[in-house]
Amino acid sequence: MSGVDLTGLIILLLFVGLLIFFMTIDRRRPATFRPIKGYEALKGVIERAVEAGERVHLSLGTGSVIGTDCAPALAGLAILTSIAEKTTMSDKPVVATTGDGAMAILAQDTLRKVYSDARALPRYSPISGRMLGPTPFSYVANLPILLGSEDISVHVLAGSFGAEGALAADFGERQGAFVLAGTDDAQSQALLYATAEHPLIGEEIFAGGAYLNVGRVHRASLRVQDAVRMLIITGIVIGAVLSLLGVIR
Amino acid sequence: MKIGTYLLWAAMAVGTGIIVLLGYFVQIDQIPADSLIGNIFTLRLLIMGWAVLLAAVALGIGLFNLFLVHWTKVSRQGPGWKYSAILIVAFVLTLLLGLILGPDSRVVLFLFNSIQVPVETSLMALLAITLSLAGFRLVAQRRDLISLVFVGTALLVLIGSGPGILSTEGLFFSFFAGLRNWLVQVAAAGGARGILLGVALGSIVTGLRVLLAVDRPYGE
Repeated sequence: MSGVDLTGLIILLLFVGLLIFFMTIDRRRPATFRPIKGYEALKGVIERAVEAGERVHLSLGTGSVIGTDCAPALAGLAILTSIAEKTTMSDKPVVATTGDGAMAILAQDTLRKVYSDARALPRYSPISGRMLGPTPFSYVANLPILLGSEDISVHVLAGSFGAEGALAADFGERQGAFVLAGTDDAQSQALLYATAEHPLIGEEIFAGGAYLNVGRVHRASLRVQDAVRMLIITGIVIGAVLSLLGVIR
Repeated sequence: MKIGTYLLWAAMAVGTGIIVLLGYFVQIDQIPADSLIGNIFTLRLLIMGWAVLLAAVALGIGLFNLFLVHWTKVSRQGPGWKYSAILIVAFVLTLLLGLILGPDSRVVLFLFNSIQVPVETSLMALLAITLSLAGFRLVAQRRDLISLVFVGTALLVLIGSGPGILSTEGLFFSFFAGLRNWLVQVAAAGGARGILLGVALGSIVTGLRVLLAVDRPYGE
């Protein structure tokens, strides 16, 4: 069809088809994922924080909902769902912060849904989803006050960060909190590797929903990523071999 | 009633998402403006315009939320309430000055250039110290092979990028400069491409989950 990028549409349909396929076979052939140290440790520290009356903080980063960098924050909302389910009945439930107004509203809606599902809506507070500052560094400047004043012992960074992510992780380390940090930007990942106790490398941030048992769609989507990655790797290898043989240029 | 509302939000989100997404697959210069696909593209532009407006409204709501959080803290006199009080005073003062004098006035620009910019620049400078300390902490606390390779590579690139190395001729210096170039242009670039590929795949499936209304961050 003239004027329509059919290749793009076919690739998109491939993703949808694989997602439905892996969702269908999830019960009969459940996926086994390699352990990711950060997510494994997160389950334990959340339980300990709830028992000790300490708070869990999840940062959704400084990316905008309408920007191209919103995907890691959307993945962060899946992690927020899982954390909120475990801390709903705690004296100090999870607090989610962001540097974007629209993302703060999404965090509030996510938390509200979890409280509603747990029939604990009266315990929900709209200020548990917050915008800390409208610019990346004003957001980070507010973090030490939040970490110090709200008894935070688990500090999770799951969103879009630039260089300010390193400061955000370091503030958590100085507080003596458990720090799990991931983002989509390769350079920021290098900074987080140095500053965070448990860095999430590559696309591990998008695996949070699957590892924290948010639902079978999250497990299926992780399997789609792996399957498509294998297809791409196969294509690259075949292309390299054909190029070496002089078949293609 | 609740189910009806949920379906309405989901239908709106999915419908809007599909229209915007389809717009990306259309090459508008080859499509007549009055055709169905042309209309979809026009609708996509309209929705994107609305999204920008809504994001601006959301920023206002976010700022109100910020004010509310700190107001609550001050009224309860919780830990760190004095910082919250300073924030509220600065918030109200800046807002009033901006509303009365306009955002481009000399006073507002002076406040921005003399307080906001230096504070943010200082935090950027703090980052250099933070990263140096984090490098030492990494070697001290996480003594595995990957961490040592990480710190070693960072040091080699740092030494190789220094003005003394790049400007000096000789076997020893050209070795470091060459090693640095190989690390940056081959090893790091290859690794970064692999990471970007994984991130792109993760972004696509995350977007698809929202588009298929499996993930509904807009609530019920």
